[in-house]
Amino acid sequence: MSLRPIQLNVIDLPKGDYTGGKSSLCPGCGHDQISNIIIQAAWENGIAPETIAKMSGIGCSSKTPAYFLGKSHGFNTVHGRMPSVTTGANMVNKDLTFIGVSGDGDTASIGIGQFVHAIRRNLNMVYIVENNGVYGLTKGQYSATVEKGSKKKKGSTNENPPIDLCKMAINLGCGFVARSFSGSKKQLTALMRAALSHKGMAVIDVISPCVTFANNDESYRSYNYVKANDEELHSVDYIPHFTPVEEVEIPEGEFKDIKLFDGSTLRLETIGDDHDPSDAVAALAAIHEAEKENRHVTGLLHYNSEMKTADEALDLTQKPLVDLAENEMRPSKDVLEEINNSFRV
Amino acid sequence: MAQIVNDFTVNIATANGTGSQSANLILLNSMFEMGVPVSGKNLFPSNISGLPTWFIIRASDAGYQAPGDNTHIQIVMNKDTWMADVEKAESGTIIIYNQDVKLPIERDDCTVLGMPMTKMARSINPKLARLMANMYYVGGLAEILGIDSEAIHSAVTQQFKGKEKAIELNMQAIGEGRTFARENWDCNIAHVVEAREKNPNTYLIDGNEATALGCIFGGVNMLSWYPITPSSSLAESIIGWIPKIRTGDDGGATCAVIQAEDELAAAGMVIGAGWAGGRGMTCTSGPGISLMSEFIGLAYFAEVPGVIWDVNRVGPSTGLPTRTQQADLTLLYEASHGDTQHIVLIPGTVDECFEYGWKAFDYAERFQTLVFGFSDLDLGMNQWVTAGFEYPELPLDRGKVLRTQKELDAIENFGRYRDVDGDGIPYRTLPGSGLEPILYRGTGHDEDGVYSEDPAVYHATVSRLKRKIDGARDLLPAPIIRNEEERQIGIVYYGSVENTIKEIDDILEATGIKVSTCRVRALPYHSEVEKFVEEHEQTVVLEVNRDGQLYGILRKEMPTDLLNKMYCVAFSDGMPPRAQVYVDMILETLGVTQEVKA
Repeated sequence: MSLRPIQLNVIDLPKGDYTGGKSSLCPGCGHDQISNIIIQAAWENGIAPETIAKMSGIGCSSKTPAYFLGKSHGFNTVHGRMPSVTTGANMVNKDLTFIGVSGDGDTASIGIGQFVHAIRRNLNMVYIVENNGVYGLTKGQYSATVEKGSKKKKGSTNENPPIDLCKMAINLGCGFVARSFSGSKKQLTALMRAALSHKGMAVIDVISPCVTFANNDESYRSYNYVKANDEELHSVDYIPHFTPVEEVEIPEGEFKDIKLFDGSTLRLETIGDDHDPSDAVAALAAIHEAEKENRHVTGLLHYNSEMKTADEALDLTQKPLVDLAENEMRPSKDVLEEINNSFRV
Repeated sequence: MAQIVNDFTVNIATANGTGSQSANLILLNSMFEMGVPVSGKNLFPSNISGLPTWFIIRASDAGYQAPGDNTHIQIVMNKDTWMADVEKAESGTIIIYNQDVKLPIERDDCTVLGMPMTKMARSINPKLARLMANMYYVGGLAEILGIDSEAIHSAVTQQFKGKEKAIELNMQAIGEGRTFARENWDCNIAHVVEAREKNPNTYLIDGNEATALGCIFGGVNMLSWYPITPSSSLAESIIGWIPKIRTGDDGGATCAVIQAEDELAAAGMVIGAGWAGGRGMTCTSGPGISLMSEFIGLAYFAEVPGVIWDVNRVGPSTGLPTRTQQADLTLLYEASHGDTQHIVLIPGTVDECFEYGWKAFDYAERFQTLVFGFSDLDLGMNQWVTAGFEYPELPLDRGKVLRTQKELDAIENFGRYRDVDGDGIPYRTLPGSGLEPILYRGTGHDEDGVYSEDPAVYHATVSRLKRKIDGARDLLPAPIIRNEEERQIGIVYYGSVENTIKEIDDILEATGIKVSTCRVRALPYHSEVEKFVEEHEQTVVLEVNRDGQLYGILRKEMPTDLLNKMYCVAFSDGMPPRAQVYVDMILETLGVTQEVKA
């Protein structure tokens, strides 16, 4: 019997501790690649699986928490309402790492209100939108993120302008806004790892082609189209806090290091024009420019770490509320008597 | 003239936003201070300022707390409702009015008493004249009814806590009103107040504040809410208490509060908090429950604890947002699509508002489901007497939560939805614990929480849920039953009808009928309710709505042989229930049926 060496992460766990059940999505679905990247990122970052909470709404994307991180609790909630359930859970247990998975129907249509308000509160979570421009489970209707002029496999061309979730998030003051492609393993893994190291709302809008309903060449969200029209802002490298930052041979001025909350670094190497992620207007301009030519701009669009998270803004006691003892939750009998007496005048 | 002691109704007609609420509460509290049994009803508009508002004060040695079927003293201050207020007064009513509103009062059959209230107020403080004018009717009324000056002073001090200047000015205005009435009003009034021995432990408080305190003592960890009349003051009261009595050693709050973007989100947050192992709640009114319904079904099916308080206002739709009704009961009991059934706690007094405030969390965690508190505008926003709230006699019941590997190992064949104990209630583990994690879902699931469309699995799941909630019946608050020996007529009622039932009972008994009463305090209903119906010749189900919602629930769940003993008396016009209205309906309903029987 020969033994194969098993690779362990920084907390000595094999990758197998981060995997989930078998996917029931269509073979080749972009969402499955994203699930694999979530597994990879959580494992590489060395996050204990039991400290993660997987949250989702309804739709193809929202089914995926069954397919990754099988040792984490999760909640497949109702359509478009994952952010509110996450908010409630975050309030009583701020020590959990929340990974929310949603789709374009779930986020940009039925759940747009909750998406907006979760960003506004700076809820401490990673919010992944698996964005394919169609409703898969109901057999391929257009969603609100599909580009004007894009055409799915069957039916007419979409004539409505799209809701760009990244533009929206930037305008709402979100501190971490990225766009990627399910086929860009390296880029998406680095962004996912960075999002997990960020404190506060991290939105990653991932273009994830629907192989069944919109992978035709006239679809602006097909594999071939996205591959040919992906405009990377920079190349991204994630350097975890538990590995010293290496000296690299990149000429000065051609890379930017983003220091993340947990001490890790996201290194952005300039490709074409220099992009400054701290500049929200520049990020909006980059999206706008790409949009004019029906191209997809990807990378870390916007970053700002200087905001309080929803739970920090509330001035809660240090201990997660779920761990409070009875005497910390129910005031004493004397307190009630004092209250009764104060009303008696 | 023979004096009628502590038995009258005063109706005060003012405009919203003119400070009349302070004046009215001073009247109410000063009589309460004298030990006179009083109740107050604020009939206010859905408006910030300007629309008409009425305040009804009932004094009754018999302890009647309904608004009363007759008005004895009418105060008219509001020019917009002036003519109607004057016109509707019955012959013999005492009408007190502000002479500075230059409108006529042509009622020779009434005692009409005027006072230049605005003008007098202007001489004290021109800027505050509009607000202060109300204090003059307080003075006038205090004079003719015989309310103690000391009691007035105490009520004014209470109203303007710590604001010395306000206390002084308002006392001056009330004093001037008193003097004016003594010197100018030539009247011979039958109605007077007389001091009674006051239980020093009693005080007045509204139901929302009582509920809020109950929640605070119930260990609430997360309050999510969206403003809506008449429940906003419940949330705001909780928010007010947190920094005072719900902080940890480090001074940080032990309850998070989020003003949600809408009621859907508020309900989602409650479920998130419950799922993560905390005590989450929200409070709302009917429109909010409609919006929350999808989430309510998720909590029922995924078995997540949480608490929702519904302070009922008049529906359907936006309805009459500032009026009272008991018409959300069916909605709460069966909220959300598919077969559902929810625990509903129904307080009828402020003491029960407090008690169910904390108990709701225990029931929610015990039964791993959403629990509703069902109050209404009358109970929630008007002032009621308590002798002081009682400290919870039991420790927090956190239900079947497995917190350690040892606890988990002690369960044979654990599955999140497996009925290990035979009571329909499974065990759960919490996120963060690393113990037997599952993906919670609103889709069909087997005993281990794994997705399933298997017919047998689905049927077993919903049957267990039915058994679980059914098992709560006799563990929930039992009905309050007052039986007559004869077991002739039974009245089943609930909630704030408690404030009218004594008067209804007295009027009915005066006709020779023997009436027992049974106040239902929770759904699913207790077995004693069924026994009560069984024991009585005829049972009337009395409620403040159009269709008889509890009646419908009882008919659905009671044994068939009891159905023809139950009669529906339901009426709602937005007003707090008045005794005579219901008495007439009861007599008519039973009279008709007796004829049919004959």
